[in-house]
Amino acid sequence: MEVKILSAKFDIKDAHTLAVAKEHGAYATLDAVFAMEPAAVIDQVKNSGLRGRGGAGFPAGLKWSFLPKGLNKPVYLAVNSDESEPATFKDRYILTRDPHMLIEGIIICCYAIGCHTAYIYIRGEYTTQVKALQKAIDEAYAAGYLGDDVAGKGFQLDVTVHRGAGAYVCGEETALLESVEGRKGQPRSKPPFPAVSGLYGCPTIINNVQTIASLPFIMQNGAEAYKAYGTEKSPGTHLFGISGHVAKPGLYELPLGLPLMDVINKVAGGVWKERKLKAVIPGGSSTPVLTPEEAETTTLDYESMAAHKTMFGSGGIVVLDETVDMVQLVKNLIDFYHHESCGQCTPCREGLGWMLKIVKQLLRGEGTMADIDLLVELCDNIEMKTVCVLSAACTMPVRSYLNKFRHEFVAYASDRPQGIDMNQDKD
Amino acid sequence: MAEMVKLFVNGQEVEVESGKNLIDALEVVGIEIPHFCYHPALGADGNCRMCLVGIEDGRPPLVPACKTPVAEGLKVQLDTDKIKKIQRDVMELELINHPTDCPVCDQAGECKLQDYYMSYDHQATRMRVPQVLKGKKLDFGCGVIHDQERCVLCARCVRFTRQITKTGELGIINRSDEARVTLFPGRPLNNRYALNVVDLCPVGAMTSKDFRFKQRAWFLKRNKGICHGCSMGCNIFIDHNREKYKDDLIYRFRPRFNPEVNGYFICDKGRMSYHQENEGRLKSARIDHEDSPLVQALQTARRRIEASDKVLLLVSPNCSLEQMLAIRSLATEKGATISGYSDGCIQTGDADGYLIQDDKSANRAGLELLQIDTTYDFFKESLQRADTLVCFNNDLFFTDPDPVVAEKLKVLQTIAISTHETPFSRQAGIAIPAASYSEYAGSVINKDGVLQYFGRAVEKNVPAPEMISIARDLGATLTEPEALLHAMKRCIPALAAAESDQIPERGLKLTLSEAAHVTA
Repeated sequence: MEVKILSAKFDIKDAHTLAVAKEHGAYATLDAVFAMEPAAVIDQVKNSGLRGRGGAGFPAGLKWSFLPKGLNKPVYLAVNSDESEPATFKDRYILTRDPHMLIEGIIICCYAIGCHTAYIYIRGEYTTQVKALQKAIDEAYAAGYLGDDVAGKGFQLDVTVHRGAGAYVCGEETALLESVEGRKGQPRSKPPFPAVSGLYGCPTIINNVQTIASLPFIMQNGAEAYKAYGTEKSPGTHLFGISGHVAKPGLYELPLGLPLMDVINKVAGGVWKERKLKAVIPGGSSTPVLTPEEAETTTLDYESMAAHKTMFGSGGIVVLDETVDMVQLVKNLIDFYHHESCGQCTPCREGLGWMLKIVKQLLRGEGTMADIDLLVELCDNIEMKTVCVLSAACTMPVRSYLNKFRHEFVAYASDRPQGIDMNQDKD
Repeated sequence: MAEMVKLFVNGQEVEVESGKNLIDALEVVGIEIPHFCYHPALGADGNCRMCLVGIEDGRPPLVPACKTPVAEGLKVQLDTDKIKKIQRDVMELELINHPTDCPVCDQAGECKLQDYYMSYDHQATRMRVPQVLKGKKLDFGCGVIHDQERCVLCARCVRFTRQITKTGELGIINRSDEARVTLFPGRPLNNRYALNVVDLCPVGAMTSKDFRFKQRAWFLKRNKGICHGCSMGCNIFIDHNREKYKDDLIYRFRPRFNPEVNGYFICDKGRMSYHQENEGRLKSARIDHEDSPLVQALQTARRRIEASDKVLLLVSPNCSLEQMLAIRSLATEKGATISGYSDGCIQTGDADGYLIQDDKSANRAGLELLQIDTTYDFFKESLQRADTLVCFNNDLFFTDPDPVVAEKLKVLQTIAISTHETPFSRQAGIAIPAASYSEYAGSVINKDGVLQYFGRAVEKNVPAPEMISIARDLGATLTEPEALLHAMKRCIPALAAAESDQIPERGLKLTLSEAAHVTA
């Protein structure tokens, strides 16, 4: 089931160096790309159906076409490498194993959108990755792939790596821009959208690392070759990070549209220790959880996920076996989002802390049935009332656990109905 | 006149000014949209989420009103169950970590959290877990005390120090419900407008060290006044109260919005100048350094003036136009010389290009309008010839006088009409107490030629006489209100042309032609 497009060079020794990368085809598309009109490049990306790999799945070519025309301002590209969603570990492989694929993608994108300054926003914790990336950029500059005359094509492009300071919210594209501009990473109100007024008030395109890294293949082999993978509406391949209670956790490149359970059982070796499956988090911690029954009918594409009232997300699949305490899991989940709330909007700032305390109280055996209902209500009260979707990234999954595993929460309530044991679900 | 647009609020058509956001535009027509973080002087931040309103058929259907400009045909929903629930929910979240210490909070009575709780929330707390604890009574400098627990993180104070004073002392550190307003270590508030954050704060998080625990807001009477701290003429509220068995005292000045003069703010020095209205006042009349009944002092003063050949009247640039007119009529009546010389209140280099001016007097432009000579040469020459000096609250003697002037003052007959006890009032042959600017009504012209009227605010238990009535008792002829207004209209055509006899709320901008008219 595995395919090798993005991960083609991952297993080649020293593929992160320019020499080895070039041997295996890096920067080979540039001649063809620069021979094309920028608009034709955008069209080819549009035709490939490539969707943003940061989580939202917005069509990449369409996003680029939102740039205002004829504006007397520079256009910026910001590559989002703030990979912070729990259970997500795909971009880090690109950064360390094949950074030149990313740089080549940046060149293609910048040529298409008329950008001469690109920023790569990388999370502060990625120390190994930032070193590898910077080394590759230095090599690319030295070899003339970046700088005043990219690949001898008369195109100027500078790439700057900007390290974050450890905030999940900086993966939100406008918070990322605030951070690049040197301010506290807090999302901006939209509109205006970054494509109109982004970095330093200029039109800005923000794409995920994996989105940009997909461009060399599309330009090299054409839109149809890319669409040969995946489904009609979710074409191409994706780097899936499979973790949790499986026999063979790891990063796997797969075409979109495969049955979720097939991937878990055949690619990742199935649930470990011969235990029963309890639930699957399909695409990072912020996606609503799937029960085993739901997982049976789910395929790994944007449409199937939406049909199951969850999201494709970042491709970070977490498999949970029967031993998982969902209340503990929800506590961890809220703890994370509460800690990462930027504190700007009232509902998120105050609400997530309140929810965390309620769950902790429940875990201590001091919570009540009313607290469970309050948790559900707070999810509704907080969600979509804020500038960005960080609060929703917490409340959407939390609501799914409360709905699908309510009995586990009830088992912790001090005033639970008789006959429900706190430990009934455990061995 | 701005262009008008028609939009619908809860299905009702309203006409509002274009170019404004929903909060400002609808406020004009009496529709309140609750908000904490938005302030017209600081712009929309959009963090409090209290102003979320529904837009029928809109994409998105839910928007912050502070960031939504009015538009023709917009269908705004404020009274739907959905919006009411959002307002209730946001209020609940604002309050869960709020200490609710209203009984000991200075903001009580003028607090948005209290007002909005009554209007939009009104439910019992569901908070059954410990609250977040933060810093209390933090001294931020410049007389500002901060309570992080009461704070709603609206960032008005932070934006004020960044956008208005451009000093940037304040910032919000930490994330989530640990976020708090704070200073850089060892770098307290250090600007001349810092106390405005107390007014800007919609809750009791920023309080004034000067005002704290002195008065409950609801006992204060609020009168409109004009600050006499400098020639800017900032519009203020004079908040005062007469407590049982005590005198009517001022407890604070607050800025009053006037886009033509000071905008939304005042400087800290002007704000604190209310103390001078309460303290250091000349309490009783004196004749030859002996306390005397006021009537007797006035009669004696009148006799001495009448017995003199060469009287010099020295008028203060802080007097109102009406007072200046009355005093000038006294000069005309008695054939006295009148001077407006005063340099004691000019602090060269103190101005900051914003509100604070070098000239610490409120109506120097009035002296010029009435052609009262303000030069030192004229004053000195007149003083040399004079045998009696009547000083109407002039600040001349706050500074060291010229030796020649000092020598002359020793031999001269002097009469001080003074609001405060000053070196001159102490040495004057007759000292007569007068009402200060919070105790009378009048008009002043600021440094930009804006004529402004202020009413009487404070009524003392034993009111000092107004300077106009003192002038009348000394023999002035122009002292009746109608006559004074008529005289003002004669020298200010713009006032004569105005439809009403009242000077408009935002002042009357005098043009060059006014000056030309007077000179002609």
